[in-house]
Amino acid sequence: MTTLTQHTSTAPGKSIIEKLNVFTALALGVISAVVVWRLSLAFLPEDAEGARLFSREDKITLLSMCGWFVGFMTGIGALVGPMRWVMGKDLAHDENMFLAGENMGPKRYFRYTTDHKVVGIQYLFITILIFFLGGGMAMLIRTNLGTPEGGWLHPQAYNSIVGTHGILMIVGTIIMITGPFGNFIMPIMIGARDMAFPRLNALSFWLIVAAAVPLIWGQFIGGITTGWSAYNPLAGQAPLGMDGYIMYICIFAISTMVAGANITTTVVKMRAKGMTWNRTPIFIYGTVASVALALPAFPVFFLSQILSAFDRALDTSFYNVAGGGSGWLYENLFWIMGHPEVYVILIPAIAALMEMAPVFTRRPLFSFNVAVLGIAGISGLSVLVWAHHMYISGWAPLLNAPFMLTTELISIPTGMMFLVLIGTLWRGRLWMTMPLMSIFALLWNFMIGGITGIYLSDVPADAFLHGSMYVTAHFHYTLMGAGLTGALASLVYWFPKMTGRMFDKTLSWISFWLVQIGFNVAFIGMFMVGLAGQPRRVEAYAPTFNTANLVTTIGAYTIMIGMLVLLHGVISSARNGVKASKNPWQAKTLEWTVDYPIPLENFDVLPVVTTDPYGYGKAKS
Amino acid sequence: MTDLMSPKTPQWWKKSDVKKTFILWIISTAVIGYVGVEFHVRNMVAPASDTMSSVISLMRMFTWAAAPVAGLVAAMCITVLTTKRHYGDNPPEEADHEIRNSPKTAAVWVVVSGLFCLFALVGGLVVLQHDNEAILDKQAIQVNVTGQQWVWNFDYANGARSEDLYLPVNKPVVFHITSVDVKHSFWVVQMGIKMDANPGYTTETAVTPNKIGVFDVRCAELCGLLHAYMQTKVHVVSQADYDAWLSAHAATEAGA
Repeated sequence: MTTLTQHTSTAPGKSIIEKLNVFTALALGVISAVVVWRLSLAFLPEDAEGARLFSREDKITLLSMCGWFVGFMTGIGALVGPMRWVMGKDLAHDENMFLAGENMGPKRYFRYTTDHKVVGIQYLFITILIFFLGGGMAMLIRTNLGTPEGGWLHPQAYNSIVGTHGILMIVGTIIMITGPFGNFIMPIMIGARDMAFPRLNALSFWLIVAAAVPLIWGQFIGGITTGWSAYNPLAGQAPLGMDGYIMYICIFAISTMVAGANITTTVVKMRAKGMTWNRTPIFIYGTVASVALALPAFPVFFLSQILSAFDRALDTSFYNVAGGGSGWLYENLFWIMGHPEVYVILIPAIAALMEMAPVFTRRPLFSFNVAVLGIAGISGLSVLVWAHHMYISGWAPLLNAPFMLTTELISIPTGMMFLVLIGTLWRGRLWMTMPLMSIFALLWNFMIGGITGIYLSDVPADAFLHGSMYVTAHFHYTLMGAGLTGALASLVYWFPKMTGRMFDKTLSWISFWLVQIGFNVAFIGMFMVGLAGQPRRVEAYAPTFNTANLVTTIGAYTIMIGMLVLLHGVISSARNGVKASKNPWQAKTLEWTVDYPIPLENFDVLPVVTTDPYGYGKAKS
Repeated sequence: MTDLMSPKTPQWWKKSDVKKTFILWIISTAVIGYVGVEFHVRNMVAPASDTMSSVISLMRMFTWAAAPVAGLVAAMCITVLTTKRHYGDNPPEEADHEIRNSPKTAAVWVVVSGLFCLFALVGGLVVLQHDNEAILDKQAIQVNVTGQQWVWNFDYANGARSEDLYLPVNKPVVFHITSVDVKHSFWVVQMGIKMDANPGYTTETAVTPNKIGVFDVRCAELCGLLHAYMQTKVHVVSQADYDAWLSAHAATEAGA
């Protein structure tokens, strides 16, 4: 509270920037939410006769959450720059340097800091936090499913945990590579001093923090009982917690759009001299494809939730059949986001492993052009496949065949990714490290995820498999088995550059095997119950499914132990790991040419690039 | 793989690692195909309709088609992992070659995956066409299915209504599916059919049960609090039993 008093009593000027931090933001956010809540309680008219139940409460909740959002963003300092600009003067040089966190020490991690390295660490921290929460919820789900009756979780609580686990993990996996590594590593890798729009960079991070609170808030006002997809009309009759989901998605969508515009611009405009597109590392392609895919996807998601909010709070009927709307509209909007979104998650993970493959096999990346083509092909096709989630919705049976075609076509660019990875490994000298083994793990997991995807893309097979645990296992194989594996490898690979210390080797191995074995045990079990006919998102099931469910639960606990070992590895290695040399992996990309700690603007003299970074291997004489 | 070698050595297939990979490829294709098919077929429910049987044979077919691809990747991984490993904190020496690409390999790879795609598409379309035609069958029994939180209701042509589904064996049946509240999904597990029940719309699906017995109907779309319990049974009976059941229930309905 004291910080807030300081803030409100300070005259606008240079000092205001120095006073704002995460604590003023939290305080202002809470106060503004409470104020808006009391005001709307006092002034909002009673619901009209025959209005939807609770639409006044929905209005109050949504307005209070908007109050929180505006208050938080003001308190963190997101509006200082734009306000100054409106008043006709921009920030002075020393103010910009202050914002960049120059000579500030650890405090800069709690501020609206524009330095891309600080934002990268902030993203890493929030990604770990999200996985911790989402993983905890997964454990609750699996524990409940250990016995057929379910039982110790109330069905409402269970449904809410399933929905929250889903949306938390989706957001966590979306940001897990482009957030920490896209922000910290990418600008150095292309030889830039910072991102193109440093303030937007800080904005994109703090928007995620602002978004998280409505989601947590929602847990206490009824929860998100609809699953992560929040289908209408079910979402229309869900409790007030749904408003938390709506706000969370809207704010997160803005964050993603901002980050997408920023990263894309940075890569297009700020690559080092001589870094032509042929010499740009493949990880950069992956990052750009990922955030660029978010550009068409997330505005649609945003829109779908705005309409959902209108239906709830203002009695409109976009999705309400009685008023002329349609649940199919929601499904279309949702999956137009939903399918590109899985590639938003997957592409940077594969690209990161492609970046590591030459380093750990000591030979050039095999078929760089094919890799780029594969990334481009997946990105292009991914916006044309959304209705395969709706084969059995009855929405448009005539479109099933064309969507089956586009979906199966994706296996061609996906196959290219396999070719690049396996071609790079072939006749390489394997440096047995956790990132290298992650490439094999990705090939294994993504092969299973990909082939099961072909069954699901097939309409008649999907008529059996859709909505069953088989689907759940399939997308965990792709998003977790492939995506998360790439992210964990990235963490170990870039850890020395981000912390100056090596990631503990033993811990990385222990965690790798625990996670991979636990993962395969868990989700093979889930495939089995799916094939036997267990629907998704059920809190109780027929006793015949018990054994395989128990297997899944045991696997899930193994994953949990592995992830805790990894977390321990992160903390202990960052504190007292072995000091890393400048280039411990002997890699050839630019981020390994700067010393730790990396100076504020990365390079004293901007590098000039003359070759691509894959010049490994002995020339044949 | 041709161009992975130096162009000066034409007989690339005589290299020991290529031979090893080739043998491993055959073995792993067989293993993956067999294990994959058995895994799916053994875990899947026993079919109670031709629709479900064709789903099972599609899965079998796709698994065998995918096995050589997965087998090749597996074989190459095993070969790579069993040669030239290096442990330690410092990098190994550079690999023996600096080959950067091989247009021929890429072309073969793309053509093969394209053919695989085409195969999957055609296989799916044939079955799909068959399923679509079933809906148009005029001779079929018509049953209206209504989902509501959290029960299924079945209405028959003669006005009978039930919460358990009764069907005669070997007679085509078309379901007209709708919902009165939120979205549900009508899944007759052992018959391999599923169709969403949307409020305000009617959707269709069709099947011909070919086995007498009791099978499962489950809701496959999260529909709120008791979604997990929204399940019922389908009783497939002989034509005579069906007729008896139907007239008995039509009478009760009229009498009530």
